[in-house]
Amino acid sequence: MSVYYNQGSAAAAGLVSCTECGLVASNKLPKCPRCNARLHARSPHSLQITLALLITALVLFIPANLLPMMVTEQLGEVEHNTIIGGIILLWQEGSQPIAIVVFIASVIVPVIKFIILFFLCYCAAFGSALSAKTRVNLYRLTELIGRWSMVDIFVVAVLVALIHLDHLLNVEPGNGTIAFAGVIILTMFAANAFDPRILWDQPLTKRINNK
Amino acid sequence: MIRTEYVACGHCDLLLDAPKITEGQFAMCPRCGHKVSRLRNKLMSQLTAFSITALILLGLANTFNFITFNLNGNISEITLWQSALDLYFDQYKYLAVVVFMAITVLPAIVIGLLLFFIAMIKLNLRWQGLSNVLRLIFGLMPWAMAEVFLVGVLVSLVKLVTIAQMGLGWSFWAYGLFCLCYAKVLSLLDRYQMWSWLEGNRYNDAL
Repeated sequence: MSVYYNQGSAAAAGLVSCTECGLVASNKLPKCPRCNARLHARSPHSLQITLALLITALVLFIPANLLPMMVTEQLGEVEHNTIIGGIILLWQEGSQPIAIVVFIASVIVPVIKFIILFFLCYCAAFGSALSAKTRVNLYRLTELIGRWSMVDIFVVAVLVALIHLDHLLNVEPGNGTIAFAGVIILTMFAANAFDPRILWDQPLTKRINNK
Repeated sequence: MIRTEYVACGHCDLLLDAPKITEGQFAMCPRCGHKVSRLRNKLMSQLTAFSITALILLGLANTFNFITFNLNGNISEITLWQSALDLYFDQYKYLAVVVFMAITVLPAIVIGLLLFFIAMIKLNLRWQGLSNVLRLIFGLMPWAMAEVFLVGVLVSLVKLVTIAQMGLGWSFWAYGLFCLCYAKVLSLLDRYQMWSWLEGNRYNDAL
């Protein structure tokens, strides 16, 4: 078993570091004596759980982009705006900086998160040319930027609450908001479920071949 | 069975001797650069101060009106929690719960639990559930999105300022200050330090 784990790691030395409180204990203990969390050298099935959540999020990403985020009614005219549509509208209205902020938060960030997490799962399974340190830095990036996609949801929430002038000007949320919130929450769970320590160990497929 | 002379890096599992660091220093993993631990003797009083301030500001942010929207005399005012409440009545109940949780409830719970934890440690009270409180604090942290909401509010302000007169209420300023305090609290939190408080002197020597 221990040959799979990276050199110098606690797991290779027959020790387990508790993911909750960081206590280092023998790998024979089932539960952490300090915080009572289950002890595992690596989070069990972290790759499978991450992939499952990611694929679900990717499926939800389609309606999130196709369905309207916001339904605006102005003097009887009803307008449906998707994420991209809203950004284009902002750009045309002359608020380019805000358009860029929204574009980064609701398009670039989710896409980067998908790419990085899928890539990291691929690395953990098949190995890659990138150094482990670079990969762990990519993981930290996803953890850091993940929450910021919620900006668009909050913008919709504020506008909906604020603009209630009946037929003069009225804003209502669209179905896309639920799908988009789902994408963000699922990718956050996916990043959470991924155990970065497996990036330093031998890739999964090589272990099977070695048997 | 417990090896307090060691710590392991949370991002690469490198086994390290427990760092011997002094006030103001922090220990980094030599292989991947992950921050392993930081030591600050004044940490507890700083944490208490900023947590209490943040909690008071959050209370204030929920009391007054948040933003005013004025379109040629058609005025609408909202409070902080109304931004979530209106979604609820627009039949977006799940979304309303998510928004409400992320912007007020979870930050309040995180800070409340933190103050509870510090009080229990300071008063030297022993309670079995205290380790669960600590786990809950770190588990809920990523879901409290006060600063993201602030950016969202700013984006909507810029969107609306071209078509209507916008006014910022007292709650908005209170919430902005709350975000600063909350960010400070998060930057002060140190997992290893807090677990060592919980265990008292038994693990303190090792960390």
